[in-house]
Amino acid sequence: MQIKKGEIIGIVGESGSGKSTLGLAVIGLLDSPPAEILEGKIIFEGTNLLLLDAEQMSSYRGPGIGMVFQESLAALNPVYRTESQLRESIEVFARAKKLALKDTEEHKMMVEILNDLRLDKPEVVMKKYPHELSGGMRQRISIAMAIVEKPRLLILDEVTTGLDVYVQNRILTILKDLNQRTGTTMILITHDLTVASQICDRLYVMYAGRIMEEGKTEAVVKTPIHPYTQKLMAAIPQGFVDAPPLPAPTGEAPDVRRLPPGCKFHPRCPFVMEKCKAEEPNMFQASDGRSFMCWLEEKK
Amino acid sequence: MTNIIEAENLTVTFRARGGGSFLFERGSHMINAVDEASFQVKEGETFGLAGETGSGKSTIARVLVGLYKPRSGTVKLLDRKIDFHKKADITYLRRNVGIVFQDPVGSLNPRLKVREILKEALRAAKVFERKEFDNRIETIIERVGLRKSCIEAFPRELSGGEKQRVSVARALVVPKKLLVLDEPTSSLDVSIQAQVLNTLRKLKSELGLSCLFITHDINVIKYVSNSLGILYYGKLVEVGPTYDIVTNPKHPYTVKLMANVPKLTRVERKTETMAEQGPSASGCIYSKVCPQVFDKCTTVPTALQVGKDRLAACHLFDGEKPGLETPPTQTETI
Repeated sequence: MQIKKGEIIGIVGESGSGKSTLGLAVIGLLDSPPAEILEGKIIFEGTNLLLLDAEQMSSYRGPGIGMVFQESLAALNPVYRTESQLRESIEVFARAKKLALKDTEEHKMMVEILNDLRLDKPEVVMKKYPHELSGGMRQRISIAMAIVEKPRLLILDEVTTGLDVYVQNRILTILKDLNQRTGTTMILITHDLTVASQICDRLYVMYAGRIMEEGKTEAVVKTPIHPYTQKLMAAIPQGFVDAPPLPAPTGEAPDVRRLPPGCKFHPRCPFVMEKCKAEEPNMFQASDGRSFMCWLEEKK
Repeated sequence: MTNIIEAENLTVTFRARGGGSFLFERGSHMINAVDEASFQVKEGETFGLAGETGSGKSTIARVLVGLYKPRSGTVKLLDRKIDFHKKADITYLRRNVGIVFQDPVGSLNPRLKVREILKEALRAAKVFERKEFDNRIETIIERVGLRKSCIEAFPRELSGGEKQRVSVARALVVPKKLLVLDEPTSSLDVSIQAQVLNTLRKLKSELGLSCLFITHDINVIKYVSNSLGILYYGKLVEVGPTYDIVTNPKHPYTVKLMANVPKLTRVERKTETMAEQGPSASGCIYSKVCPQVFDKCTTVPTALQVGKDRLAACHLFDGEKPGLETPPTQTETI
């Protein structure tokens, strides 16, 4: 994967496809053991992050790369008020930038960030504990904690999942706005193609730890090439109560411990051929610059 | 068509904490989680309830299985009025209404195998004899599209979609008249959600079930429901046939809700200037944020006929504001 400065890219796929693992690898938060990075490079602004020791890596986290997790209730410390949570982030930021911030300056930053995230009455929210806030508010506090450190790359792992469309829309607007104002590069991880298609410039479709299709959002959504992408699109409910059943993919995402041979999608693929069962497809390029991993291309 | 459920002026209140001392609850006040809601679930149909988090959707679901008692209003199940203080009536309610909750992990006992989970439901209902249990379990497991081997599995050995199917099996192992589904697919992947929705539609036609389907996802509710109710902070602001409401929303809140349905396109996003606001404390509950608010909105609107089988609680439709029969469609997001 390559992400340009200022881009918003989406990583989509079912649970268990490796989306979060990818995100955690980039920010260097994979638990190892059990995880082990066998090969490859993660180059961030010219530096291979995988060659850094723990201390060097930690200096990248926060002001360099920030991450927001799905479970805002678990991501926030339950015994800290919003204020203290945010102060922790601001202190990391100040240390990295070698700034000595006064209490009033810290306070001003907090109010600003909460205002930016359109939270009503920032002064009140700052005095609240996580359990006193709604899901949407908590998610915005988690985002505030990440962006108050002004990261150059922000990884967002299912930040809108479980929130209602309203709050979801609001959060997506805030993210897009942040991207346009500050040029923050973003990786949006989600299982929901509708969410990803709303703010992402490009999409990566993942399955069984592999990138099955990559391309400009409009192209991937309008004319998906890979049968898996097609199936994901077909799963989005369309029409009214008299509409036919949804042609969703059958079965579930494979267990990564027992992956099938050949193309990993072949057991669920409606167009499966003999070759798919034996050999993993190559990456093909479409004329519009999209890349995808499917043997159907050879049959054309 | 007969009505399975008839709810009239259903009101559910909770005591809100905060303010006052904890001994005397001074300053504590009552909140109407559901405020005078009236709706019907027709036989063989699905009634959808949509609204934001905190709009009272789940509260209505819980009333229908007797987990909450309404403060006022009536609920009729197959023409029998339910007295929520009478044990026999609650038993009658639970024998006829099954429920599936949002979180399949939290609603299945982790220490019981699927067989035991279903047996518990069979024993509690006292409808079948013990020797019929295994047969019932096998039938329902197949009906909801689970492998037979799942019967001997613990919930933790099942995937999210399978767990939710077990919840559906538990609700229907004793045949029910009404199935209440409280956000049954919001914790699932899009692909698994589609599979579960397909199964639910199949079950509905095979068993002639009536359903109350609750979700905040308009794409889902439009796909599964015949008629629809839109809730805003406990108020049912609009009720009617799903197709009509989705294609031609009347109440300004419904208009806004429909404009917020996520589409598969990139949306030009406007920066929001107004911070989010809660409901209005007096008058029309939506008047604080409504783009079409006018002087009348300081009084509470009643539900008005706005088309065939359609009701909307909004002063725009009581005919005294000329030239504004249908509010102009609002396209702006948020």
